[in-house]
Amino acid sequence: MTLDTRIQLQDVSKSYRLGKSEISIFDSLNLDIPAGDFLAIMGPSGSGKSTILNLIGGIDRITSGQVTVGQLRIDNLSEAKLSRWRAQQVGFVFQFYNLLPMLTAAQNVELPLLLTAHSRRERMERVNTILDIVGLDTRGKHLPSELSGGQQQRVGIARAIAMDPQILLCDEPTGDLDRKSAEEILDILKILNTEMGKTIIMVTHDPSATTYARRTLHLDKGQFVRKELEHMA
Amino acid sequence: MNLLRQCVAVTNANLRSVRRRFWISFSLVLSVALVTMILLGFLAMANGFNKALTQVGAEDIAIVLSSGARSELGSRITPPHLHLLEEAPGIARDANGAAFTSPELIVPVDVIGKSDQLPAAVSLRGVGLRGVAVRPLVKLSEGRMFAQGANELIIGKRLAQDYEGLELGKTILFGKSKWKVVGFFDADGSVFESELLADAKVVQTLFNRPNLTQVLRVKLAGPDGFAQLASYIEANPRLPVTVRSERQYFASQSQRVSQIILWLGWPLALTMALGAIIGALTTMYSSVSDRLIEIATVRAIGFSRTSAFIGTWIEALLLTLIGCGVGTLAALLLLDGWAASTVGADNTQIAFELQLSLSMIINAVAVSLLVGAVGGGLPAFRATRVPLRLAMTGRS
Ligand SMILES: Nc1ncnc2c1ncn2[C@@H]1O[C@H](COP(=O)(O)OP(=O)(O)O)[C@@H](O)[C@H]1O
Ligand SMILES: [Mg+2]
Repeated sequence: MTLDTRIQLQDVSKSYRLGKSEISIFDSLNLDIPAGDFLAIMGPSGSGKSTILNLIGGIDRITSGQVTVGQLRIDNLSEAKLSRWRAQQVGFVFQFYNLLPMLTAAQNVELPLLLTAHSRRERMERVNTILDIVGLDTRGKHLPSELSGGQQQRVGIARAIAMDPQILLCDEPTGDLDRKSAEEILDILKILNTEMGKTIIMVTHDPSATTYARRTLHLDKGQFVRKELEHMA
Repeated sequence: MNLLRQCVAVTNANLRSVRRRFWISFSLVLSVALVTMILLGFLAMANGFNKALTQVGAEDIAIVLSSGARSELGSRITPPHLHLLEEAPGIARDANGAAFTSPELIVPVDVIGKSDQLPAAVSLRGVGLRGVAVRPLVKLSEGRMFAQGANELIIGKRLAQDYEGLELGKTILFGKSKWKVVGFFDADGSVFESELLADAKVVQTLFNRPNLTQVLRVKLAGPDGFAQLASYIEANPRLPVTVRSERQYFASQSQRVSQIILWLGWPLALTMALGAIIGALTTMYSSVSDRLIEIATVRAIGFSRTSAFIGTWIEALLLTLIGCGVGTLAALLLLDGWAASTVGADNTQIAFELQLSLSMIINAVAVSLLVGAVGGGLPAFRATRVPLRLAMTGRS
């Protein structure tokens, strides 16, 4: 499973157009994330943290440089190929969960599985297994609105790992949660990293959340400023 | 492939979320329902009109008009020509050899509607002695025939029902002339019931139209009657008239009128459809912006552009089809068979029923699908262009 899914950003720059001017988010950024890493990224808002996740996850395009995941250059993949690659390799966990509000927890988790050839029964089995992993086995039939924030985020994580991707990209996954729920979420992420070998990249504003990660990078004005702080694994 | 499954899942999620956009979605349904009703109304009117006029036309009655005239109003047959026509072959005759013909003229007269108290023009028709004999459908149902040379008239049942003062024994005033109602007739609910009949000579005199004959109605003798009469007229260059069977005549009349109805109806319906398309665009663009985060999220998970397009498009098509269904249902309930109680809007007060048919409903469905396809297509395309990074930024 943990084949070579090392993630490399080489000389990546990203800019966007605003009217006539070209605004640079970062220039010549380099980042090397070994398979099985749990990396926390901190930094002020607007510094480009989400953009890094987007570029690694293939939902935004770099302006120049290259992004390699495993052996694969993903920066020049076609739209359709990138879509398929994402479905297989990447799970997203969002600050505001981004569950489809009119689908039940189980249906939300099933969503990525619809992209496979699995039968309905296989899908349901997988959904139940995963809801079990995140401790929501009794809540499958609930709508998101009937769940607490922490529970919704657990559904979000379940959806992210439904396809058993190697990489999890989490954008402030605890940003909207109370302390206790946040810790539950971070515990789950940690288990996914240590026991299932997922590579996790987590953007956070919460210094205590970084203690769950293997290392933390600080991004400011498009640069990683302080060098990596090692944590206890 | 799993593309179908993707589309089903996205469409399902979209449709469930329509509740969040209830009112704007409802307004789309309503506007399509309105377009459907208008369209069906006009089509049913044209159809009903056609039926009312074509079903009654008889094959053994001929209508003679002056050449070039398309209806009685523009026609005029002079007395010498009338004499020539009386001699023609192919016309049914009685034992004494007298022809079954009726030289006729129509005069518009005003009556007052019972329901709206508004004046309306109906036709007072002066007919010859054989006026009733050349109208097989017309049966005296009450009272008696008007007397020759008297200012008396008989009235179609439908008119009597719908207009004031048309009662047996009453005298009514048209302009300066007084007329006594002496009888009622029915004619199987056909157009004939929409007229008042009186002695042509008296009508000519009292309305100051000496010797005016607009049409000669003829009962034909046997199956070759029409051919004989027609070839006689053709062979006689001194007779500037044309002859048609009553069926042909009614068919040509109704064609023109129903064409006018359709010429009015289709542009109106299509203009309204254009409005509905704009409404659909608004509704569906707002649906897309309402779902930006959801669309971006599902696409980030790996769903295809196609599924984003199809999901949005089907939402639009379904909403318009629901509108079409509502409009059709309303038309069936409100319009179909409507005229039993209403006399048509044509100047000559011809009664007809609105009649819906399957082919009209197919037309309405096609127009609705057009509204949905165009009005949903552009927003659906926009849905495929939603930047995926919105999944990261937004609160849904
Ligand atoms: N395609 C884009 N168009 C416009 N602005 C963008 C685009 N991508 C990023 N930005 C802007 O770039 C900056 C960095 O964004 P982001 O990566 O979300 O920062 P962070 O997550 O660190 O708060 C923000 O100011 C954001 O508005
Ligand atoms: Mg961010």
